[in-house]
Amino acid sequence: MPRRVESDICIIGSGITGILAAERLTELVDADIVMIEAGGHTTPVRDRVEKRRRLVEYGENPWEGDHIPDQGGTGLMYRSMAVGGCAMHWDGATPRFSPEDFRQRSLYGVGTDWPVDFQDLEPYYQDFEERVGVAGEQGPPEYDPRSAPYPMPPLPLSYNLEILREWGASADIPFWTQPWAKATTTEHGRAVCRRCDTCHVCPTGAKFTPDLTLDRLIAGGKLRLVTETLVRRLELEADSDRVSRAMAVDRNAPDEPVEFYASTFILAAGYCWSPHLLLLSADGRYPDGLANSSGLVGRYMSGHPYMSAQIDLPFELYPGMFETNSLLSRMYARPGPLERYVRHDLRIWDSTAGRQARLRGDDGRIHFGDSVMDDWRARTRRSSARVRGYYDVVPDRDSTLTLDAGNRNRWGDPLPRIQFREAPESAELRQYTHDTMIALFERMARAGGGSVMSTSFSPTMEHPCGGCRMGDDPATSVVDSHGRSHDHENLFVIGAPTHVSGGCANGTPTFTALSLRSAAEVARGV
Amino acid sequence: MTPDRRTFLKHSTAALSGGMLAGPEALYETPTQSPEGRRALGARVVRALDAPLLRAVGDAVLPESLSANQREDAIASFELWLEGFDPVAELRHPYGGDVVPYGPPDPTPGWSAQLEALDLIADARYQATFGELDRGARRTLLQEQITDPGEGLPSTARARHIATALMAHYFGSPVATDRCYGVAIRRLECRSNDTVGGRPPTVGS
Repeated sequence: MPRRVESDICIIGSGITGILAAERLTELVDADIVMIEAGGHTTPVRDRVEKRRRLVEYGENPWEGDHIPDQGGTGLMYRSMAVGGCAMHWDGATPRFSPEDFRQRSLYGVGTDWPVDFQDLEPYYQDFEERVGVAGEQGPPEYDPRSAPYPMPPLPLSYNLEILREWGASADIPFWTQPWAKATTTEHGRAVCRRCDTCHVCPTGAKFTPDLTLDRLIAGGKLRLVTETLVRRLELEADSDRVSRAMAVDRNAPDEPVEFYASTFILAAGYCWSPHLLLLSADGRYPDGLANSSGLVGRYMSGHPYMSAQIDLPFELYPGMFETNSLLSRMYARPGPLERYVRHDLRIWDSTAGRQARLRGDDGRIHFGDSVMDDWRARTRRSSARVRGYYDVVPDRDSTLTLDAGNRNRWGDPLPRIQFREAPESAELRQYTHDTMIALFERMARAGGGSVMSTSFSPTMEHPCGGCRMGDDPATSVVDSHGRSHDHENLFVIGAPTHVSGGCANGTPTFTALSLRSAAEVARGV
Repeated sequence: MTPDRRTFLKHSTAALSGGMLAGPEALYETPTQSPEGRRALGARVVRALDAPLLRAVGDAVLPESLSANQREDAIASFELWLEGFDPVAELRHPYGGDVVPYGPPDPTPGWSAQLEALDLIADARYQATFGELDRGARRTLLQEQITDPGEGLPSTARARHIATALMAHYFGSPVATDRCYGVAIRRLECRSNDTVGGRPPTVGS
C-alpha cells in the first residue's frame, strides 16, 4: 500500500528556486506546503570550516553526500542532488540580465522575445536581492538600470582590482564591482564576508545558501520537507488534465512507494531534472510526456559560452587577495543599435597566469631551490589580468534533453542526455563574435601598455537553462510567463528551465526572480 | 561501487602506481585499514616517509635562502599534508561535470620507494648515502629521477616523484607566494575588512 502524503502545494525540488518560491508563498497564503527532495542533507554550517580546509589542501568535495550515485546523466549537468541544490556551492554572483536579453527579436532580429520584459521583472529582481542579501555597487544607470539600491554595500575591492578598474577606465570602459550574495553587513543575520576566497564552501556563513532559508521555514512550521525521495513520474486525474499526484520512491524504503497529492504542483527541479520528469511522465493520453503538447519539453536547451584572454600588464599587482571577486561591465550587453548582433558582458580578475612557480625554466631544464624562486620573482615584475565575456547565443530547437534508454537508474528509469546546439543564425555569428571580442581585448591591452598573452573560447554552455521555455503561444512554448503549464492548469514549472535564452550574465537572479513572480500567481489560485 | 570493491581498487591502484611488487593478499585492506574503518575507530593514519632522507631531498630542492627553521617548517608541513591524505577521495565536482571525480591513490608507497632508490643510487655511484652527498650531487641525481612532464609544477598528490611533490607543496603555499612577492598577500586566509585597500605590507624574507 503506497504511503500517501497530502498538501495544498507540492514543490518538487529544494534548490534556490523552490525554496525562495516557497518562502514567498508562505507570505502570501496560508497553505499546507510539502517540498520533496531526492537527495539528503549535505554539509551543515558547523562543518564547513573543516571541509574548506580539506578543499584547500586536497581538493576534496566539501559537500558530503551531495549526489546520488546512479542518478546522473550525460552532458552538461551538475551531479549535486541535495537539500539546497546547486546554490549550496555557487559562488554567489548575482548580476541581473539586461533589458535587451528579453527582446532579442524586437531589437536585433535574432532569437525569440520573452513573454516578460525587464520592467515586468524588475521588482522581482529587487525582491530576490533583498531575500538573499546581495551586496553590490550601482553601476552607471544606462548600463545598470535598477529602481532601488542594492540591499548591502559592495564587497571591498582589493588593491589589485582598484588598479585594474583604472586600467578599464583608460580603455573607456566603466567597470564596477560584481554584485554578490555575500553579506557586507549583519542586517540579514549572516556574518560579514571575510574574503576567504573559497566561496564554493563559505566557512563563515556570509554567502547565502538556500538551506538557511529552508531551515527557518521548517522551524516556523511553514512547510514540510521530505528528503531522499525521488519523484519518478507525475500522473493526471482520470477525467481531467490536472495533475493528480507525484509518484515517488523513498530511497531508504524502496519497497514502499510514496504518492504525493496536492491541489497545485510546482516543478522546481532545475533545467535538467524538470524536463526529465515531464518526459518520464508520458502516458497513454500524453505519449510524449506531460506539458508537451507543443513538443518542446526538453528543447531549446540554452546557456552561454565565453571568450577570455590573459593580458600582460606593466603593473605591480599581488594576486591572491580574494581572487574570486571581479570587476563587471555591462556596457557591451547594452550596445544600442548594431549592424551585426554581438552582445556580451565583460569581467576582469587579477590573475596568476604565467606567474606561478615552475619546475622547468625557459631553458627546459629542471630548476631547484632559489633558482625556482628567482625565476618566479622575475616573472612577477609585470602582472596578468584575466578578462572574460559571456556572450549571447540563440538556442536551436534541436538543442535537447532526451531520455537515454541505454542509461538507467536502479529503478529502471532512463536518465537524461543533454546535447546543446546553437541555432544557425547564431552559429553564423560565432566567428564575428570572437573576432569582435578579441579586438576588444587587444584594445584594452594596448590602453594599459600591455599585450594579449592568450585567448581562449569555452564552448561549455555555462549557466544552463531551458527545456521548458516560456511563451504566450501554447504552440511554441511549454509554460506561460508565470510558469504555468499550457496543458495542465495546476502544474507550474519554475526557474531555469523556463528561460527562453541564456542571456549573457549568470542566470540565478533572473530565474529566481521569475520564480518569485510565479509564486504570486500560484498564490492567486490557492 | 560497494565499499569493499572501492577499497580493493584504492589499494591495488596504489600498489601499482608505487611500482610495488606484492602478492595478491597485499591488495586487500582489513576493515580497520580502510578509511571507513579508520574513521570508525577514530584511529590516526600512520603514513610516513623516511624522515632523514626526506630532509636531504628538501635541502636539495627547497630554496637555499630559507633558514633552517623555515625549511623544517616546509618539510613538516608536507609530512602533515601526507598524513592527512585520503586516498581516492571524492574531489570537488567540475563545472557542469556529469562524472564525479576521485583523487589519486595513496602516493606514499611509491614516494617511499623513490627515497630508498636515491640512497641505493648514491651508494652505487658514490659509495655514500644520498644525505652524505653535497647539494650539487643531490640535484644532479634528482634531475635524472624526475619524470614529471611539462613546465609547471604538478599538483602535490599527483607528483610523479617525491622531490616534485615536496616542491609543489612548498611553492604552491601562501608562505612561498608571500616570499616571492615580498609582501603579505596571505592567500586563502580569511581577512578582516580593516585590511582593505592599499598595497599589502612588506614581509621580510
